[in-house]
Amino acid sequence: MRPVLLSGHERSLNQIKYTPDGDLLFSVAKDKNVCAWFTSNGERLGTYHGHQGAVWTVDVSPNTRLLATGAADNNVKLWNIKTGECVKTWGFPTAVKRVEFSEDGTQLLAVTEKRMGYLGTIVVYDIRYGEDLSDQTDEQSLRIECERSKATVAAWSYLSKYIIAGHEDGTVSQYDAKSGELLLDAEVHDDGYQVNDLQMSQDRTYFITAGKDKQAKLVTCRDLEILKTYKADTPLNTAAITPKKDFVILGGGQAAMDVTTTSARQGKFEARFYHKIFEDEIGRVRGHFGPLNTIAVHPQGTAYASGGEDGYVRMHAFDKPYFDFMYEVEREQARR
Amino acid sequence: KEHEETLSRRAIIEKKKELASDALIKRQREEETRKRRRVQQAAEAERQRLIDEHRERERKRLKDQQDQIKRKEIEKQLDELKASGKGFSLDDMNIDELDSSTIRAMKLAQLEKDNRERDERVRITAKRVDHLERAFRREEIKHLPEDYER
Amino acid sequence: MAPTFDTLSDHDFDDVDEEEIDFSDLRAQYDVRRDQGLDTFVVIDGLPIVPAENKSKLVKFLLKKLNTVGNTSEDAILMPMNDQNMSDGFAFVEYETPEQAAAATKHLHGAALDRRHTLAVNKLTDIDRYGREGRIDDEYEPPEIEPFHEKEHLRSWLGDPAARDQFVMFRGDNVGVFWNMKKDPPEPVVDRKHWTQLFVQWSPQGTFLASIHQQGVQLWGGPMFSKQKQFPHPFVSLIEFSPGERYLTTWSNQPISVEEGKTSLTIEEEGKHIVIWDIVTGKPLRSFVAHDLTPPPGPEGEAPPKKKVQWPAFKWSSDEKYVARMKQHESLSIYELPRMNLLDKTSIKIEGIMDFEWAPSSPRREGIKTYEQLLCFWTPEIKSNPAKVGLMSVPSKEIVRTRNLFNVSDVKLHWQSEASFVCVKVDRHSKSKKSLATNLEIFRVREKGVPVEVVDSIKDTVINFAWEPKGDRFVLITAGEVVPGSNVAAKTAVAFFCPEKAKGGGIGNFKLIRTVDKKNSNGIYWSPKGRFVVVATVAVQQHFDLEFWDLDYEGEKAEAEKELSANLMSMNIQEHYGVTDVDWDPTGRYVVSSASVWTHQMENGYHMYTFSGVLLSENPIEKFKQLLWRPRPPTLLSKEEQRNIRRNLREYSRDFDEEDRYAVDIANTAIVEERRRLLEEWDAWVRMVKEDVKAE
Repeated sequence: MRPVLLSGHERSLNQIKYTPDGDLLFSVAKDKNVCAWFTSNGERLGTYHGHQGAVWTVDVSPNTRLLATGAADNNVKLWNIKTGECVKTWGFPTAVKRVEFSEDGTQLLAVTEKRMGYLGTIVVYDIRYGEDLSDQTDEQSLRIECERSKATVAAWSYLSKYIIAGHEDGTVSQYDAKSGELLLDAEVHDDGYQVNDLQMSQDRTYFITAGKDKQAKLVTCRDLEILKTYKADTPLNTAAITPKKDFVILGGGQAAMDVTTTSARQGKFEARFYHKIFEDEIGRVRGHFGPLNTIAVHPQGTAYASGGEDGYVRMHAFDKPYFDFMYEVEREQARR
Repeated sequence: KEHEETLSRRAIIEKKKELASDALIKRQREEETRKRRRVQQAAEAERQRLIDEHRERERKRLKDQQDQIKRKEIEKQLDELKASGKGFSLDDMNIDELDSSTIRAMKLAQLEKDNRERDERVRITAKRVDHLERAFRREEIKHLPEDYER
Repeated sequence: MAPTFDTLSDHDFDDVDEEEIDFSDLRAQYDVRRDQGLDTFVVIDGLPIVPAENKSKLVKFLLKKLNTVGNTSEDAILMPMNDQNMSDGFAFVEYETPEQAAAATKHLHGAALDRRHTLAVNKLTDIDRYGREGRIDDEYEPPEIEPFHEKEHLRSWLGDPAARDQFVMFRGDNVGVFWNMKKDPPEPVVDRKHWTQLFVQWSPQGTFLASIHQQGVQLWGGPMFSKQKQFPHPFVSLIEFSPGERYLTTWSNQPISVEEGKTSLTIEEEGKHIVIWDIVTGKPLRSFVAHDLTPPPGPEGEAPPKKKVQWPAFKWSSDEKYVARMKQHESLSIYELPRMNLLDKTSIKIEGIMDFEWAPSSPRREGIKTYEQLLCFWTPEIKSNPAKVGLMSVPSKEIVRTRNLFNVSDVKLHWQSEASFVCVKVDRHSKSKKSLATNLEIFRVREKGVPVEVVDSIKDTVINFAWEPKGDRFVLITAGEVVPGSNVAAKTAVAFFCPEKAKGGGIGNFKLIRTVDKKNSNGIYWSPKGRFVVVATVAVQQHFDLEFWDLDYEGEKAEAEKELSANLMSMNIQEHYGVTDVDWDPTGRYVVSSASVWTHQMENGYHMYTFSGVLLSENPIEKFKQLLWRPRPPTLLSKEEQRNIRRNLREYSRDFDEEDRYAVDIANTAIVEERRRLLEEWDAWVRMVKEDVKAE
């Protein structure tokens, strides 16, 4: 797997996202910029200027017309992907840590930070795709307040039936996406260890969480039942599920401030591949100089990209051995 | 008039003679200069030849010396190999065809062989250590009930 | 079970109240009923589940186990297959006689078939009575040897059929005892929260595990580590067992204040720091005030210098008949067990005494027929008198050998494990008191007149020295002088010594085998069985290497070392970042290197190696504190039996090879089966969810 190095950010990466066809990759970082890249050659298509603080999160609408971003400047912005212009800005009292379009693109959720006097919230807007993209509503169609523990990440389940949120205290909760009612609560990660990432499977029936407790978990959307546990030796910032192959990719690393010595051995800055079903670690990919903050997998399952504390995005195309790798029992099953 | 003519002719002849003699002298001088230069050049060439010859000799001497050192070194390494290599055969090798890189390769091969041999012996030892302990335990278990009675 | 000491009382010393155990089913199990034809049958549960093609392999493997207690054959093992053409994890076996069948239930029930499978063996007649469903599977009994003995067998762990060893591990607030599984994760025996407050410690022969609490010491033992004995010494922080596990010494820096009637302590113990206990009765034998708690006050206005506690304060003779304590610079007091009376009612004045050590086993001096124990002590230069090393015979108190030493700055006494030698390591300074060098003065205790051999070829200071256990070779580490003003520690050199080959089987003079220099090593860890030694760099920031040496390498020997009784070979070098401790298992087959949170907080956990330095597993563990191998008592086998085993090792070896092969086969099959199951389970789940979503 020969990586393509995308060096356009000056600060650490926060999130990266592929477009549904995998042609473009969007990246956001602490340096206020939103970048768009051609995945074929790693050239930069352009940047989207407008945020006044670190950009925490990014998502692409399923029809690839709109881009949503959330930032430390307390704004969510919608961008016309083609023209690069900002078509809508929603303001909040606190920073926005996560945005995500629903499966059909008609809704957008945003997770807002908790701060003195403000609870952490999850809000939802309806999204319109008319001729004039700037024609958007200011009205929130849903607002959930997280009273017990703030949400750090959130995502839409299959059929946009639930909103699934990961929390600061390590729990994962399931909300009715229509009413906002809290339906289920599960202690998925060790108590007090934050959920740092939550990514859905392609069919959105289950998802993977990455925890500060050095574990990643595969959880069902319907019952929040833990299907699988992947144990790593370092706090995890991100986890992704690969289509095509039954793998998951985990990323993390001891943050510089938590490392007790300057010893580089402490870092463990590698992308780790695990078998999704057997929970075994299969391999690691090195390259970053700092913790991995975000990993995204190409929607066709042919490549993945990782964004690091070191300010780089590394794109890796999977090669033949990756696709050939199979356990004996899988081969057996494939023959049947 | 005739006399005048004669006189003037003589004068001319004299003049010509003079001119001829000057030219001759000049020619002779030039000839001498050329000759001197030739001699000088020849001397210079000879000197250069001597220098070159000396250089060549020196170079050859150094090379010989180096070759000798190299050969000695190779011989030494070969001796080392012979000493360390158990049953290492060097008889069929021409020492002149060896250079240090092949020697290094040979040394590496020898080291690898030694390591392999060591690992194999350690593996056998490991098995014996483990099996002996297990055999002791198997027999010891039979004594446990009586030990309990104590 | 979270044991807190203050809730312990006499009646719950035993975890399991014997009155409450219903032995009837066990008794029935052991009753041989000859009148029924089915008495020769047993049912074996807990077998691996295998496909039909692996059935015969499993049967063959099982047969070997079954035939260790009686006679049966392949034909007499019935292993039913289910609809999926898989075995169901059990088999019927017919033995030749009902007695053999009974023996099988007795000896094989709870025995391990391999790492993953424990057999449950019951008589068919019993199964019939209780019904096949439910009872057997639900009441899966942990392996328990001799379950119907009234007293627990404190040495049951020695009977592990897989010849494994145990270790105790303390991490976070949890203490667990585990079976060593080599490459695989250790198998827990017990794992308890808050089992100890300070640390845990094994008794020297492994019978007891001691936990340390504010209220005292608690001993645990038996198959499931139930409470055995407790010693209520408040605020105890140091303990020491006698070599034969009969006595226990406890220490606290706080003087005891006795509340009459509340504990087994009496007014005797009031104000004391040290108590010597009889482990069997649980009663104090005698208690003492510590010598080293009140150091002499320093010069005017200065706080007295902090003194390190001399521990062990009381040192035991190898046979536990004597225990001795010195009052530094003054005297030595020897007490006789079991009465703890002062030998000859008087302490021995030894002016200047700095340190002493008992011989670690009963000495066998040439020409000495009477009983004796030996101890070695030293005194420094006092005025014009030289420093002295003395060897004292007890109980006669006769000094059987002394040696004068000059320019001594320090002395360390190192007994060889069989009391054949004592090496006196003498650090000497030059006249100017500037440079240091070390001499080794080796007392050959067994030879007539105890000759002393001096090894003085050592240029630098010796920072560590260790005898080969049960052997006559030693390793030492020297360090050069530290460059003043440099913060880099001096390089060290590791030197290996052994005796020269001598005629007539005697032990020749000690000669240097080899020196390995430019090292950073500081620790020497011999295998408890001798021959192998790990030389390591521990608790040093930048270096953390472990080198595994063999002193009897079976390959060719270097020409120059032909006359020496050793063949030195480095087998492996490993690195373990942050290593603080190195521990051999009691059989000398495995080595554990660990990084304890007590020393630093980086990458705590442990690595497991074979004795030759092959890495078996790396185990990072948060807040890892301690890993201690469970010691083993001396072997129960006679010399003759040991000889026989050695002689027939080849046959045993064939057996073990086969056993190992089968075990690997079965383990692999089990892994594949497990994966197959996981894959099917996953596919089923995905199908189900798809339907569900479609339905919505």
